[in-house]
Amino acid sequence: MTGAGSAVQHAWDFAGLVREHRSMVFSVAYHFLHDPDQAEEVAQDVFLSLHRNLGSVESPAHAVHWLRKVAVQRSIDAARRRQRRPQVALEDVAEPSTRPAPGDALLSELLRKLIATLPEGPRMAMVLRYQEDLDPAEIAEVMGIPLGTVKSHIQRSLALLREKLARRGVGER
Amino acid sequence: MDWLEQELKNALSRKEPLEGFDERVAAAARRPRVVAMPARRWLAAAAAVIVLVGAGEGYRWHRGEVAKQQVMLAMRITGEKLSFVQARIAGEGQ
Repeated sequence: MTGAGSAVQHAWDFAGLVREHRSMVFSVAYHFLHDPDQAEEVAQDVFLSLHRNLGSVESPAHAVHWLRKVAVQRSIDAARRRQRRPQVALEDVAEPSTRPAPGDALLSELLRKLIATLPEGPRMAMVLRYQEDLDPAEIAEVMGIPLGTVKSHIQRSLALLREKLARRGVGER
Repeated sequence: MDWLEQELKNALSRKEPLEGFDERVAAAARRPRVVAMPARRWLAAAAAVIVLVGAGEGYRWHRGEVAKQQVMLAMRITGEKLSFVQARIAGEGQ
């Protein structure tokens, strides 16, 4: 890369980056915020920010890392802005009328709702762990928090989810 | 990876945004950017206004005090002069 304007000449031009990474950016926001409209807003904001900083993109790998980090930060900012508005509370997660079995869509929806009830830090750690398949060290780097905190967030969240699922009659296969 | 972690991977799989996302982003990128003043700048501007208004009020109060002292001095001089004239009139009358 020779200068600020040269990024558009590379294979990782802006339209290509949007096409390639929109599902990653949108999904980080969607799974964290549990709101498709807000997730779209955040995703657009992330890509607009990329557009303004396109000159600093050094490689496709750098673009992914940059987008993921900004998506995480903007999602957390959006969640903090809406804190005064009602969010998903555990009591709002209705008991399913039929007992969801492992592997079915009902269980996936229940899990998404339960994750939406987790506090901010653990919720984002879970999204990055299971959506993005990042290991705890990578999550710590993206979120800018200590590795031990990430491990603790994931372990406690898993334990909490197991407990909540067990209460709903969902257990091991 | 146990059953719950596998279920979490399914539940949190990536999703595509609504149709037309790329076009919406491209359109937004073409729009001229309105730069909002950051909160810190708002605070600095507000602090400057408060300091200026405060300084103005302080100056007005100081000017008022000076004027008040000048009026008091003028009244004291006038009083002294009147007493002097009154004493002279009384002396000449005797």
